[in-house]
Formats: sequence, structure tokens, C-alpha cells
Amino acid sequence: MNRTADQPEANPLREGLSTRAVPQPCSIVIFGATGDLTHRKLIPALYNLAADGDLPPAVAIIGFARREKNDEQFRAELEEATRKFSRQAVRDEIWKTFAQSIFYHQSEFGDEAGYKTLAKRLDKIDKERGTRGNRLFYFAAAPDQFESILKHLKAAGLNETCKGSWARVIVEKPFGTDLASARELNRIVRSSFAEDQTYRIDHFLGKETAQNILVLRFANAIFAPLWNTHYIDHVQITAAETLGVEGRAGFYERAGALRDMVQNHLLQLLCLVAMEPPMDLSADSIRDEKVKIVRSLRRFAQSEVATNVVRGQYAEGAINGKPVIGYRQEPNVKPDSETETFVALRLFIDDWRWADVPIYMRVGKRLPKSATEISIHFKKAPAVLFNKDLRDQNVLVIRIQPDEGIALRIHAKVPGASFRVEPVKMDFHYGTSFGKASPEAYERLLLDAMSGDATLFARRDEVEEAWAFIDVIEHAWAAKKGAPGLFFYPAGSWGPEEADDLLARDGHAWRRL
Amino acid sequence: MAAITENYSLGLQVQLDKIDSELKKLWAESQGAMTRASLVNLAVYSEVPGSLEKNTQLIAKIAENHACRAIVIEADCKAKANRVEAWISAHCHVSRTGSQQICSDQISFLLEGPCTSLLPSIVFSHLDSEPMDPQLWAWVDRVIYDSQRWKDFPEQMRLVESARKEAKQRIVLCDLNWTRLDKTRSALAQFFDHPTSHHHFAKMKNARIDFAPGFRSTAVLFAGWLAAQLHWNAEKTTRNGALQFVDSSGHKIDIELRERNGEPIGQIALNSREVEFVVARAKCGDLLEVSRGKPGEKRTPQLMPAGSNDPVSLMSEELMRGGPHYVYLHALNCVRELL
Repeated sequence: MNRTADQPEANPLREGLSTRAVPQPCSIVIFGATGDLTHRKLIPALYNLAADGDLPPAVAIIGFARREKNDEQFRAELEEATRKFSRQAVRDEIWKTFAQSIFYHQSEFGDEAGYKTLAKRLDKIDKERGTRGNRLFYFAAAPDQFESILKHLKAAGLNETCKGSWARVIVEKPFGTDLASARELNRIVRSSFAEDQTYRIDHFLGKETAQNILVLRFANAIFAPLWNTHYIDHVQITAAETLGVEGRAGFYERAGALRDMVQNHLLQLLCLVAMEPPMDLSADSIRDEKVKIVRSLRRFAQSEVATNVVRGQYAEGAINGKPVIGYRQEPNVKPDSETETFVALRLFIDDWRWADVPIYMRVGKRLPKSATEISIHFKKAPAVLFNKDLRDQNVLVIRIQPDEGIALRIHAKVPGASFRVEPVKMDFHYGTSFGKASPEAYERLLLDAMSGDATLFARRDEVEEAWAFIDVIEHAWAAKKGAPGLFFYPAGSWGPEEADDLLARDGHAWRRL
Repeated sequence: MAAITENYSLGLQVQLDKIDSELKKLWAESQGAMTRASLVNLAVYSEVPGSLEKNTQLIAKIAENHACRAIVIEADCKAKANRVEAWISAHCHVSRTGSQQICSDQISFLLEGPCTSLLPSIVFSHLDSEPMDPQLWAWVDRVIYDSQRWKDFPEQMRLVESARKEAKQRIVLCDLNWTRLDKTRSALAQFFDHPTSHHHFAKMKNARIDFAPGFRSTAVLFAGWLAAQLHWNAEKTTRNGALQFVDSSGHKIDIELRERNGEPIGQIALNSREVEFVVARAKCGDLLEVSRGKPGEKRTPQLMPAGSNDPVSLMSEELMRGGPHYVYLHALNCVRELL
């Protein structure tokens, strides 16, 4: 997050030009280079970095995949994708130079020879392009390929570098499907790369507003004394989307909303909201505090899952007035599928700061609108004077997407002779206050990985602790006897009624988005 | 709604004592359709006749990226008769999310004659926060100027620096002539990001800076930056238009300044005893081509953003930044006597 990352000796000409760690020359090898992620996110992100002058000139991008093609064909495909998906329009002259740094390496993931030729090719690129032996391996392939790729990288000596150079690996989610598989995946990665070489990407953390949570909390003294059980009544985190499974049914049937969203994105957001102030902004100081939150999450007994977690699945309904089919009618979904497309949870963090503060989370597909936000609901003012009839609380809302910003609901006197009090909103919009568009999350995260800054990447223990928490819920759902029910909700609604009941029992209600 | 403008008119003319009430009326009329935003009070002062309209144009563009309360003043201190006129207007644009009109407001003043001495009180009473303080400087956080236009650099700098000293709080000096160099400095700096390149610092032999007519001071500032960051001392004499510096080991480094038509800084070539580092404007004009190599060696040039020399871009760039600009002050001190 700042210059405390493992930066080499400072360049005196950089003084005053950049407050962030400077990305270093390197070769970026993308495994699964012909896939969607590479075309939609990675190459457009790298292009934008190049166009903004943030990419070091000595960078080479090597796509590693099975399909037969040459450098020129690969570049042409990526150009087409970048023109379609890039945040900024592609300029021919920049693309032309950028494309010269892109190469294609054809090989099966399990073919040892392919890695040996890759090693030779990387050495040649180092000499020709000045990438200085630094290697960044990006795993955009399916997780079941990771072991084979890692084994062969190690066999080809690509996990090690000469003195003064580095090798790092970026692993895309999902990091396993449960604790056991996450541990196994971590074991496999660790057999080739040390933890400080491993960058587990969660693109939610690359979002400007997610990073702003730390600034909001720790750069504004007014919130610090209020940020605890004495003043906060409860917290809500919502990640809603109008989309259905959109061709991802194969993956989604195995994952479901809990694994797909809660284990990673939502728990990461919760950590940023709930963590203690870190000692400094170094990667490990921040991650040390985050992991304490996951460890402090109250673990449910299997019998408690039904009362604290609601799972739902969308049935047919309408989004924006347009009829849509139910989940079980989606292509490649089993007609009797029990996969949850909605989940609502009532959590507690058993630490000094958050004792007895309920944390409500909900995530769902085919909800009425797409929005991700965190709301901090403060306790009511004493019910005396004009507060006697107040129904509303002070609420601080952190909008993650879209329309990123922060709003604070306070009470104000309605003009007139009487003391009528109504809630009003103080609202900060990123789009209004700052003209500059935020970079895409992948741009920030790729730059951080090239700079050796792991702050916005998940550490092994964070991932495993999160799975340990999720596993209890998954096991309860999988139990044959007494498994909590699956509730259906019409597409276009805010989820099953049972999710409302979850809060109503505590005298709360979901915030209207 | 007459005062909401997109065509850079000065807006609605108002009486001096009615500015606040007219502004309130303006926002009341537009409530719901427009959101007023302001992150900074941006006061623009000029004694150039006709500058009000020109600076209004600039503010309209700057406000798209930097929501502000703009106070634009044109003053003619030499006029014999008093004249004070004021206008209010709003600069609106559609927000990035496309859902709202975001507006910054502007108050414009035309002051002529002895009444220009009222300038501080006029500005204070319209700052977009709680005033008041009798000293204008006490309300200034950043002074933005462009030293490229200065005819007498030492005298102008003395004025700016004495004003800065008079203020009790920190005032950051922001020179657009320095901002103009940002991208070029970044482009040159990136050659040395890796520690294995640092040995070249001790082997610097000479440099050449091509500058456009009128931009010699920009080139000298660039040389000052190199000198300050690499611990070179300026020799007071120049020979054939070249600046002479001495590094900490006593080696001489000549920096040749060449006037060439084109961009403010057209090309920079920095030579160590082994390698030449070049930053040059690409043919397309708004990109920099950077390359390094030994003489006669094949090079792989890369493109980087060059930035723009127009005042709106320079102002926007400057307003995006914070910090005290120590590097600028060091660079300036290295070449102060050469400017």
C-alpha cells in the first residue's frame, strides 16, 4: 500500500513523483492465456497501465496455453478483446508498442518440455528486453490445473531466480472449495513458492472504495471513538446483483453463493470494516489484523445454522419488468438443484470491540438491483426530549459499487415552530468530488504484484480461516437429517421472507437499497 | 436559470452586496436537477485586460474534474476611476455515473482604479467556508503560478517567496512550469528504477535538452532537477549556451540547451559514459518515446504519456496533487541564478 513493500534501493529521480511502490521490470506469464479472464480483464488492465505510463517499459507478457497459435495471432485476438473491454479507448500507436511485448507460448499444462522451452524463452526475453530475470506467474487456468503447472514450474527451476531477481505467483479464486481443498491447494503452492511469493487475488480488494474503508476509519478521528459495541447497533453488508448465472451454471452448481461470494469478497469487506488499526500500512500488519477478525467470527454449531443462515434460490420472476426464468430452469442446472443463489447470515465477532453487535450479510442473484454496500447502524439517541418518537438511527453507508461513495444519515429539525425531527442524508459521491475515474481493480492489483506489495492480496491463514467458518454452514446444509431448508424467492424480489425474519427477530430490518 | 452557463459567458451580473442572495436563488431554482460540489476555493487573479472571459473558459473546463468555488478577478490598478462589477455563474457537467448534473459556481469581479485595494475583503467574503482573517495570505494554502511567463524571474520569485514567508501557515508554491515537466521527469526516472542502473549516476557525462522558443526556463528547471537529485553543483558560468555542473566526485557535466521549434521540451538525451538515455516526443505529439542504449546499438523504444501543455491540463494535474513540492524547491535553488 505504500513504500514499505520490499522496494529495492530508492531511485533519487523518483522522489516526489510517486507515492506508491514502483513496479519493477518483469516477465508476466499467464497460464490460461486464451481464457475469458485474460481477454476481458488482464490484458485490458495491462494495456491501461501502459497507456497511463504506469507499466515499466521492460515488461513482457507471455501467454501460456494449449491451443496452437503464434505471437501474431495471439496479439490480434488480444487487440480485439482489449478494444472491446478496455476502460479507455485503445490508441493504435500505444497498442502497437504494447503488443510488441506480448508473446505466445504453446504447451499443454502437463508437458514438461513446454516448461523447459518456456525457461529458455524467458532467459532470452530477459536479455533482449531487460526484464532482469523477474517473473510473475498468473494462474488464470482452472484450479484443477494448478498442481500440474506448479510441479512443472518447479521442475524447470522457474520458481527460483538468481540474486536480485524475484519470482511471484498470482492465484485466482476460488482458493479451494472447502478447508481441506484450500489447505491442499496452499500446500501445493507452497511446495513451489514461499508465502511471500504468493499473491491470492480477490478483485474486491482492488476496488477504490474497498481501500477507502481504511482511509475512512483511520484518517478520520471522528469515527474512531464510535466504532465499537458501545455505539454501533449492528452492521449490514449487501452484495446484490440483478444477473442470474449467465452461462456459469457449471461452476455455480458446484459453488453456490456462499462459496462464490461470502467466503472471499464479503468476509474481506467485513475484515476491513471490523479490523483493529494496523501498526503500519505494510502488507503483513494489515493482514495480521484482518485474520484476527476471521478467527474471531463466532463459529456456529451445526444446529445453529438454520437460525443464523438463510439460503434461497430464485424462482421465475421479473427484473426491470422483463420476465426471467427460475434458477432450476437455467441451462445446465439440475431441475432439482439445491444450490443457493441467495444467502443471508447473522454473524457475531467475538472480540472486545464487536461483542454482541450483530453483523448481517446478504448476497444474491436476480435481486431487484445491482449494488454492494456496507451500512453501519448506530445506536439510537436516548428516547427523551424530541427523540421520543424517533424510529431511525444514524446510519453510515459505504457504497462499494456502483456510484461509489459514503453517506451519513443524521436527524435534523424540520423548519417550523414545532420540534419535528426528520432524517436527512449527507452524501459524498466519488463521481461528484473527483473527476478522475478510478482504475479497474485488476490494474491496481497487477501493479501491486509487480511492485511486491501484497497488502491487497489474501494470505494463506486468512483463506483457511474463512473456509473453516464457511465449512460449518456447508456441512449443515449437506446433512441428510435436519438440514436447514432452501427457500425460494421470485426473481426481482429481495430474497426469501425468511431473510427478513432473520433481522426482524432482533428488531432490525434490511436497509432499502 | 439564466446564470447557468455552458458558453463561458460571465453569467448573471449582480450587485456586490447581493452576491450571496443571488447565489442562493440560483441553487434554489436548480434544486433536484443539479448538485453543487466544491472541494476547493480557487481564486484566479489577473491584470490582463479581457482575462475574465478567458479565465472563465479555463475554470469551466477545470471544474469538470475539480469541483470548486471559483473566484475570478480581473483588476486594473492603474485606472483612475473606480469600477466594480460582479457576476455569478455555474459550470455544470454530467457526472461520470451519468445520473446528475454536477455544478461548480463562479463569482467574477472586474475591479478598476483605487478600489482594487479592496481585493482582500472582496475575496474573503466569498470564500466557500467560514471566513474571516485580515490577511489574504492566511487564507491561501497553495499559490499556483506559471514561471515560464515571467520576464524577471528573480524579482517575481522574490515576491512569491516573501508572500510565503509572511503567511503563518504553510503555503505550497505550485509552479505550472514545473508541472509541465512531470511526465518527462517520470519518463527519465523510470530508466533508473532498478538498482542495477544506479551506477550510471556516477558516470554521467553530459546531457542535451531541446526546448521550444519561450521555454528556456522549463529546460533550466529540468536541469536543476537533475542537479538537485543527483547532487551536482551548478557552475556559475555558461559556455556556448551550455550549463555546467560538477558532481560530488568533481566530474564536470555539461548540459546543452538547444532551442528547437515544437513542444516545450522536445527531447532529452542524458549520457553516461556507457549508455545514452533518451526521452523524446513521439511523432504523434502527445506521447513520449523512451529508449536507452549504447551508441550504434539497436533500441526498443517504448511509449509513455507526454501530458499536455494546455493550462487546463496543467491546472488539473496540479490540483490532483498535494504535498509540499520540496523537489521543486530543491531544483529551483540549484539553478536559481541561471533562470
